[in-house]
Amino acid sequence: MRHTLSAAMAVLCLLASSTAFAQEKSGNKPGFTLRPGSTRILLIRPTIKVGAQSTGGMFEPNADWTQQARDNLGAALDAAQQQLGNQVIVAQEPIGPAAATFAGYRALFSVLADSVIEYQFFPGNRLPTKKRKGAFEWTMGPGVAEIAKGTGCDYALFIFDEDQYGSTGRKFLQVFAAMAYVQVKSGEHRGYAGLVDLHSGDLVWLNADQAMGGDVRTVEGAQKRVRQLLENFPGSTPPAAQIATASGQ
Amino acid sequence: MTSRLRRLALLGAAAVFGVAASAPKEPLPPYSGAYEPQTVDERGLWMQLDEAERRLRDSAFVLKEPALTEYVRAVLCRTVGTDRCRGARIYVVRNPEFNASMAPNGMMVVNSGLLVRVRDEAELAAILGHEFAHFEQRHSLHRFQHTRSMTDVVAWMSVVAASGASYQVRSTAINVANSAVGSMFAFGRDEEREADLLGAKYMIAAGYDPNALPDIWNRAMDEADATAFGRKQKSHRYDRLSFFASHPTDLQRATYLRTLVAGMGQGDAGREPLQTAVKPLRGAFLADQIKLNDFGGTEYLFGQLAGDTWDAELLCARGDLYRTRGNPRDLVSAAAFYTQAIALDPANADAYRGLGLAQLRGGDAHGVDALKRYLALRPDAPDHAMIQTLLP
Repeated sequence: MRHTLSAAMAVLCLLASSTAFAQEKSGNKPGFTLRPGSTRILLIRPTIKVGAQSTGGMFEPNADWTQQARDNLGAALDAAQQQLGNQVIVAQEPIGPAAATFAGYRALFSVLADSVIEYQFFPGNRLPTKKRKGAFEWTMGPGVAEIAKGTGCDYALFIFDEDQYGSTGRKFLQVFAAMAYVQVKSGEHRGYAGLVDLHSGDLVWLNADQAMGGDVRTVEGAQKRVRQLLENFPGSTPPAAQIATASGQ
Repeated sequence: MTSRLRRLALLGAAAVFGVAASAPKEPLPPYSGAYEPQTVDERGLWMQLDEAERRLRDSAFVLKEPALTEYVRAVLCRTVGTDRCRGARIYVVRNPEFNASMAPNGMMVVNSGLLVRVRDEAELAAILGHEFAHFEQRHSLHRFQHTRSMTDVVAWMSVVAASGASYQVRSTAINVANSAVGSMFAFGRDEEREADLLGAKYMIAAGYDPNALPDIWNRAMDEADATAFGRKQKSHRYDRLSFFASHPTDLQRATYLRTLVAGMGQGDAGREPLQTAVKPLRGAFLADQIKLNDFGGTEYLFGQLAGDTWDAELLCARGDLYRTRGNPRDLVSAAAFYTQAIALDPANADAYRGLGLAQLRGGDAHGVDALKRYLALRPDAPDHAMIQTLLP
């Protein structure tokens, strides 16, 4: 009995990473569209973690892959926004008291994004104030303008990306586990991107996809990822199609 | 299954599934000038921690107190030597827990809760030496690699256990998986012991009082017991390890360190320099401790800090502790502590504030006078408007 229980526990642990539920993945403030051709977007240093997934399911960080992803995603984003006529400005690391303010708003954004994902995108768990149809009311407060002082930017773009590529061992395990009727998920690809109006502090758009495609270690893969990340991005739909044709996919 | 069989089974599993049995030895120590991480694993870890350090550096929790940070650096440098300590960057963090850590990339985090608990510089040196040993020996990296191997074993054994194999095979697989889980925690405890011993070597060689090493853990046990007693919980067991323990128990650490330092004689304790360095911020650290809602542990800690002479700041903090708990009898005790604090330091605005609030809450109208005195002593108080509403 004890053995059966332990086995069940072990199997449960294996399965824990492969939850999938009906969840919305993006939302935007009603009426918001990015005016193409004039907007300056401040890109906050993206949080990127790329690595392998060990046989047992541990994340193995990989410095080279992370650097490749950082470069590729940056270039792909720049290209996508240039097609729209918008300008992406990479935020410089501030010093002095500005650094603390900047860090505070970065931390605030990650809390905000997590809250939106938990309390708005998952309909069964929606907060009473977020239940009205079409409502998307989240803000960081107007004080966020301070992080863009002197850049002339209208919006701030925050990006989080985590990629775990299944190792060979993990893939083998997946096959053998399937023979024992146990489902094992190999790889994990999740991220979110959010746009904040720097004048009002409102979150105008957030896309959180827990299963994204595109290998961010390659230039083409990163372009695909950026396309997915910017999916449903108000004002970016037609040129996104152009990029797709341009890159021949 | 005997432990030898278990080890054999583990080794067998490791061989079958291509798990690296041991990590290759890296040539350069990680503290050497502008060291670059070498292997894929080490570079990955450093990359993650470099990112974490960027966030920590600008965090509001890091104390921007150059004098205190410099003092901690000086103690570390004296302990491990100037060539080694150059590899460390020190962040004193406002966190009331008794802890410190050092990441594989040389980021050393020292909690304010540690600074307020260590009695002298020798105790601080013991902790810093321990953390530095983790860094120097690449413990995080090795534990990461060991944990990865063991989770691999657990994953494969779980598949075997869930398969249609015979009962014997499945039962063995579960035993192997359980041993692998145990091995992860045992590995971590071995590293802690190793760091304790290397850290001890450093601080003793630097001339610090060796007795500081076991003393820390004796007091840690007493404080944990006081906390448990205050919360009406059972005290911890120190005589045996739990399966999932990350460190040896405090009693084990106190015991082997006491054995190590037996007969070594006295060394430099450095009580004055530590207290001088912490003094300007101690009031804030004590306030953080009170917010932990740990009456028993805090009462013990304050008693330890006071020894046999309570200064005005400690009396005031003790008053805050009682006033925060707020039973009618606590308000009476609090008022008495504030009064003693005022007797020692008649210009202590905080004591007047606490006295006034405790007296008013207890139904004593004299509190108004104390609050007026507080506002007079500190005209620019941030809670000026709030206090004003309590006055007639």
